[in-house]
Amino acid sequence: MFSLQYLLLILTIFLLISIFARKSARIMTLLSGIITIVFVMLNNPTYTSFNYGSFSILYMSFRLVFIASVIIILLGIVEIFVSVRFNARSGFYAFTQFLGIALVLLFTTNDFLLFYIAWEMVLIPTFFMIGLWGGANKDYAAMKFFIYTHVGSVFMLLAIFTMYFQEGATNFSMYYLIGNLNSIPLVYQAFVLLGFALAFLIKLPSVPLHTWLPDAYVEAPYEGTVVISSLLSKMGAFGLLFIFVNLYQASHYSGSTLVPWILVILGIISLLYSALVALYQKDMKRMMSYASIGHMSFITIATGGFLILGTGLYATLLYYGAVFQIISHGLIISLIFSTVGSVEKSTGTRNIVSMGGLARKIPFLSFILLASFLASVAIPGFSGFVGEISVLIGSYAFLKMYFVFIMIGIVLTASYHIYTLQRTIFGPYNEYLGNIKENRNEILASLILLIPIIILGIYPSLILHFFNISQIGMGVFK
Amino acid sequence: MDLGVLMTYLIFGFPLMLTPIVIGVGYIKKNYSMYLGVIAIFFSFLFTVYIFYNYTVKGIIIQNNFNWFQGSGIYVPLGVIADNLSIIMSLMVSFVGFLIILFSVGYMAEDPRRHIFFGEMVLFTASMLGLVLSSSILMLFIFWELVGLCSYLLIGFWYYKPNAAAAAKKAFIVTRVGDVFFIAGIGAAFYYSGGQLLISGLNAIPYTWERTIVSLLLFGGAIGKSAQFPLHVWIPDAMEGPTTVSALIHAATMVTAGVYLVARTYSIFTPESLSVVLFIGVFTIILSGLLGLVVNDIKRILAYSTISQIGYMVSALGLGLGSASIALSIYQLESHAFFKALLFLSAGSILHALLNVRDVNKMGGLWKKMPVTITSMFIGALALSGFPLTAGYFSKDSIVTASYNVNLWAWVFLTIGALLTSLYTFRLFFKIALGKPRSYAAEHAHESGIIMLIPIVILAFFSLIFGVFQGGFYSFLGYHPESFSVLDLAPVTLMLIGMGISYWLYGRESDIPDKIARAMGFLYKFVKNKFYLDVIYTNVIAERAVLGLSAVSDATERRVIDGFVNTWGEIVRNAGSSLRKLQTGIARQYVIMIISGLILMLLFIRILMILGVLH
Repeated sequence: MFSLQYLLLILTIFLLISIFARKSARIMTLLSGIITIVFVMLNNPTYTSFNYGSFSILYMSFRLVFIASVIIILLGIVEIFVSVRFNARSGFYAFTQFLGIALVLLFTTNDFLLFYIAWEMVLIPTFFMIGLWGGANKDYAAMKFFIYTHVGSVFMLLAIFTMYFQEGATNFSMYYLIGNLNSIPLVYQAFVLLGFALAFLIKLPSVPLHTWLPDAYVEAPYEGTVVISSLLSKMGAFGLLFIFVNLYQASHYSGSTLVPWILVILGIISLLYSALVALYQKDMKRMMSYASIGHMSFITIATGGFLILGTGLYATLLYYGAVFQIISHGLIISLIFSTVGSVEKSTGTRNIVSMGGLARKIPFLSFILLASFLASVAIPGFSGFVGEISVLIGSYAFLKMYFVFIMIGIVLTASYHIYTLQRTIFGPYNEYLGNIKENRNEILASLILLIPIIILGIYPSLILHFFNISQIGMGVFK
Repeated sequence: MDLGVLMTYLIFGFPLMLTPIVIGVGYIKKNYSMYLGVIAIFFSFLFTVYIFYNYTVKGIIIQNNFNWFQGSGIYVPLGVIADNLSIIMSLMVSFVGFLIILFSVGYMAEDPRRHIFFGEMVLFTASMLGLVLSSSILMLFIFWELVGLCSYLLIGFWYYKPNAAAAAKKAFIVTRVGDVFFIAGIGAAFYYSGGQLLISGLNAIPYTWERTIVSLLLFGGAIGKSAQFPLHVWIPDAMEGPTTVSALIHAATMVTAGVYLVARTYSIFTPESLSVVLFIGVFTIILSGLLGLVVNDIKRILAYSTISQIGYMVSALGLGLGSASIALSIYQLESHAFFKALLFLSAGSILHALLNVRDVNKMGGLWKKMPVTITSMFIGALALSGFPLTAGYFSKDSIVTASYNVNLWAWVFLTIGALLTSLYTFRLFFKIALGKPRSYAAEHAHESGIIMLIPIVILAFFSLIFGVFQGGFYSFLGYHPESFSVLDLAPVTLMLIGMGISYWLYGRESDIPDKIARAMGFLYKFVKNKFYLDVIYTNVIAERAVLGLSAVSDATERRVIDGFVNTWGEIVRNAGSSLRKLQTGIARQYVIMIISGLILMLLFIRILMILGVLH
């Protein structure tokens, strides 16, 4: 039995090796990714629990739910990808592994204090990834990212303490704290929900709490952008879909639809607003960071819809759609940013208007860029389609005529992607770029992401079938 | 698995799986991918013939569904159905697709990226085959999107032409507008039918306004793909792609998908939504007929003729005659597929000879130079305009006749449509075939190679004799009309008049067209500018409204939202830098501060005590 303590031990050893034997950091990241995937595969993750009793006030219990195992597999794939695709400094790989440990802890723990600690641990490697190896404006971006997301975390910490002290708990067990949420005064319940929602919506991110994201993504080095974009936003998604949903349904407000509707409206605004802003960007990397906001807005919509509908066919479809959107967004956005990185490396620019006709000189790279953009537009055959169409079909059940806003959002999303393709890889070749070349190895490495994207797009039940998902997060803590 | 089921999956699965190989083989030797592509579609045709045989002789309707989200507890079916409608469509798509791809072997023989071209063509045809064989509305949508994707890639195949890149973008975004209606339609159908995604399950939607909603949303998708008003604007621009692509888009795949969707889901269309369908169809016929009269690009004239012929199919569906409507519409669809593929392939043959000069004013006198091509094109033109005893006559005039008893206005406009059709068709044909060559290229035109002529001749043959199958075709689709003889003479008469006018205006040297254009003045300009629809879409909606909103959003993003965040940062930092000055390191100042602070604090406590807050 490959239980959690061994995984954490192995990951820590790998991390120590990569700190002390710096040359091995890259290979250690690769191994961490593999071992993480193996861990999830072996603990065929229905609802595997790992209990280690109590340690002071910490409730040392861990579990692997469906959504967590999906994200941890994504984490493994991303670790493998960054170690194969990029030749970064050893420090970067050490930070990535540190991030990986923090995320494994975050997604498996049953203890709110550990959850908070892991949530904060993530900030450290990310801060240094941006601040040490970032672009021209790195100090600003790193500081902004750190403080912005930290503000959210503080609210979450206050919410956790509110629950702890008001319920008179002896430890920070999620079971206890969520289960007894309804016993505390309404004002405190509202504050708890607000605190968690704020932390998760900042991390997701949702408009208007998103402005740390474009700066962080643009200023980070490409390998950092891949890691941050694919993994960090998943913390918010996990929080919303797993923690917030359970908190909300356990609270006094569980019957009310006001808060879910606010989530839905925020999601729709995010979709429309991010598409509109993206349409105006000339910097490809910045445009794609808004595309990331657009993708994550489907998760906000799905969470809101799930809470409005409660149970039933449509709610379940929304939940699956959101989980699928998590993994497909992680894969697709990594592919997009790494490809944009390759394009910038060969052309020396990431300004859309100064490219053009790249398909003539760098056909294979252009193909990967085309494929990643089409995946991002959610063309069938790519995994993005499965998540989006599930959320879309499910969301008609509560949106009805307001579905028209989502329709506009989809058209706008398609239009900026297609516009960018027309200006970059199609059209006449921009002779000012000179004689550019593509790197064969980078293209081969992209297949690590492209192949899962296509397989999941054609056969989505791979995830649903492999994992037993009889418990998908609802009512786990009751 | 049953052999029939396997065969049905293979009809589209075989070319789909072969697509990467077709492209991959091209890196070894480019010509192999051409042959492999032809073989792939030919096998699809053979599989379809087998299924057709199964159906007609043994009477087996193949249906097979599986759950796409297996293990989730939600039934999201994908699957195939091979009933009369899908078999007849699949036969046409694979046969015409095969002929077009065979023609491409000659047409694209010298293109350096032909392996990619053939891969995309195979994918395109396979997606269309998958679309017509789908038993579930979600699978239909999946292939619907793949068809759109392939058309995007193929229209922009010559990506280095700025026009081609722009046209591909336009096609994608305009059809995407239709697609989101389709998505909404799927969502609505899923909701109102209580979780059904099978097409046969759509009948669970209650017979009320819900049906109207769902059917209109689905029809919105059909408008986008089938290029009906107001989403027809992408088709003329799509002519920037290779001509064989246009042939495939217009005849076998893509634009017929919308008509097929309506025919497939016909049972949920209510009278209200059918009246919308009829209106859109009739309006499109007149609109595109007028547009076809003023453009000079050979392919664009054909493009507008496609829009108007599809208008006939949509109108036939809008008549609301049940299975008769479907039979009329699909028969028009298939005969149109033959003569439109023929017209596009002969146009391709002409363009191949004329080095891609597309202006009809620069052609002329080609009948003598390219006898086989132009004679075939003549047959195509006759069929398109509905000359008696050609395919178009049987298919189109039946629709006009059927409309007489349903809606007199529709009949009037459909008849006028016949006049317009023959006017623009023969304008095109006479300008190309008769008179003297009007350019250097036209003077030196020569007949195309045999591999390109074979498909043209086969298609010409079918365009001539397809009318023979009319009775059998209708009964295959479950329509048994009492008699065929009562065709009214109005469309034929008008068609012959139109042909005569065209000859009088364009078949000989004449300046009458210019005079008419000048006399019409404003009206001519209005039509020539495509009713300013493109101007509205591009300049008003896209560039003013959307781009304007986007600029506003960007400014909001930087100034307001990010400005708010940064202002907080500034406040904190400024506070820090001003308070920092207190820390001077001079002991006497600290002592002063301690004493003044103590006094202030005692004063504060004293005030509170006076106010009664503290005791």
